[in-house]
Amino acid sequence: MTTLQENEFDRLAAELRYVVTDMICRSGSGHIGGALSLVEIILTLYYRVMKIDPNNPQWTERDRLVLSKGHAAPILYAVLAYRGFFPKSWLGTLNADGTKLPSHADARTVPGIDMTTGSLGQGLSAASGMALAAKKDGRANNVYCIIGDGETNEGQNWEAALFAPHQKLDNLIAVTDYNKLQIDGFTADILDLEPLAEKWRAFGWNVLEMFGHDQNDIRRTFLHAKSLRNGKPTMIIAHTIKAYGNKILENAAGSHNIKVPDSQTHEQHLAALSGDAFTLPY
Amino acid sequence: MNLKNLHEQEIRLVYGHVLNELIEKNPNVFCLEADLSKASGTNPIVLNAHPKNFINIGVAEANMIGVAAGLASDGKIPFCATFCCFATRRVYDQITISVAYANNNVKIIGTGPGITQGPNGGTHMCFQDIAIMRAMPNMRIFSPCDAYEVRSVLHYMAENYGGMYMQLLRQQLPAVFDEHYQFQPGKARKLRDGNDVTLVSTGYMTHFALKVADELAKEGVGVDLLHCPSIKPFPEDDLIESVRKTNAAVTVENQNMIGGLGGAVCETLSERYPVRVKRLGVPDRFGEIATEEYLFEKHGFGMEHIKQSCRELAKK
Repeated sequence: MTTLQENEFDRLAAELRYVVTDMICRSGSGHIGGALSLVEIILTLYYRVMKIDPNNPQWTERDRLVLSKGHAAPILYAVLAYRGFFPKSWLGTLNADGTKLPSHADARTVPGIDMTTGSLGQGLSAASGMALAAKKDGRANNVYCIIGDGETNEGQNWEAALFAPHQKLDNLIAVTDYNKLQIDGFTADILDLEPLAEKWRAFGWNVLEMFGHDQNDIRRTFLHAKSLRNGKPTMIIAHTIKAYGNKILENAAGSHNIKVPDSQTHEQHLAALSGDAFTLPY
Repeated sequence: MNLKNLHEQEIRLVYGHVLNELIEKNPNVFCLEADLSKASGTNPIVLNAHPKNFINIGVAEANMIGVAAGLASDGKIPFCATFCCFATRRVYDQITISVAYANNNVKIIGTGPGITQGPNGGTHMCFQDIAIMRAMPNMRIFSPCDAYEVRSVLHYMAENYGGMYMQLLRQQLPAVFDEHYQFQPGKARKLRDGNDVTLVSTGYMTHFALKVADELAKEGVGVDLLHCPSIKPFPEDDLIESVRKTNAAVTVENQNMIGGLGGAVCETLSERYPVRVKRLGVPDRFGEIATEEYLFEKHGFGMEHIKQSCRELAKK
């Protein structure tokens, strides 16, 4: 863990938002909405919560993260690079021919990614397998897993929802990025998840809720989740805003995936972020 | 486990005993089941001997593959067993992404291949698992024919990294090999030597093919019998060596004729050494509840059909 002061956190979050927006724009298209809704959460995990060693990405005792909504990979790549898992210069290659950083999280090519994901609904099962492996080995590490709200439509999540409490995987801490939007519109209109907290509680999970853009709320909630270890896995429902920070796209249907056909659109998206411009690290 | 008499047992029990052997050799080997552990032969054999290495996931095959991928990413070697239909087609995307694409060390065991699902009927009778698994990159596919070969393939699977699929016959079957058998991926086994026609078989059909070859020998038809336990990698060179001699090949499999063993033979020969080929198997139909005799007759891949095709292609 690092000591990141509150003001440093805010500045880093703003810089990561800027960098991720630029990464996606320069590649010509990308899943910006669900990446920007996770900036504070992934930043908190890798700077304040998870036990990791950037110099030893395969460290056996490390905490794991499965980004089940693999399309949000650009923010995870950016945080990993800033945390020192690989050179920041790689970030400029997102989705480029021959890149190590493809659109969806890839453990085969990216140091620090713990599971390859991209087909929705599979990550919570994999995270359960990792948590089970830790239990079998008697390791103390936690396994984190971030699922999307649209992704929650997938039935496999609910197979894992039954499995993890049955196996008493209290080292599994999942997060639902509940930004209330999926590709075709609001989750409430496409396939309503409510009452979401009650569903997870009924499946035998601890359920916590937080505002996913408030660094103190996020930190407190993760610390609470880590302290539970009561024989149950924990689901944190993170209330977030899709494309948070981008004034054009924020909370808008259609923010899931953007096309950036020209430099003018690219500039518009950078300008839509409140605050300063940053020097790009690539 | 008495290695000399493995063929006297149901092969599913051999699966259970071999898993115990593998776990005793390497405690990272895990047995995953989806509520069919008695059918797979691991309950009570593995459950009692190694309860810590036995995980019943419940009737949730997608989750089984995902959990296996997570275990494998932490150095475990999970063997996931269920009926062929659920082990492959039901979880095709989970295997594709979480196992093959992600390159996780997960072993998948499909039990009761093809017509051996008899009493469960058409919904459970899977004729396409070999074909669909062949079409998946980074996946090895094996279809052993007897208890000794099952044991050797399982050892190979545990000792070598990567996603692999094996068809597991559940019933007791006659011995084709013995306790000295050593499986080699990408190699065929020459079971009979002959100059007139190449007969290529795999899995359940091999012990029938052996009888056919012996009976045809008495008629003066020389069958060069290749058994292919390794569907992928496919033993291309062994096949070509045989057809250089015979100039004709008959294939027989307990699968749809599209995309399986016959498909692999045709792909290989049409590109490298074109000769006449006759494929036997299920002609692009679903299964149904029926006896083996009825199904062989209906679909045309019983011993008489194999014989007739071999005779025809041996003439040329």
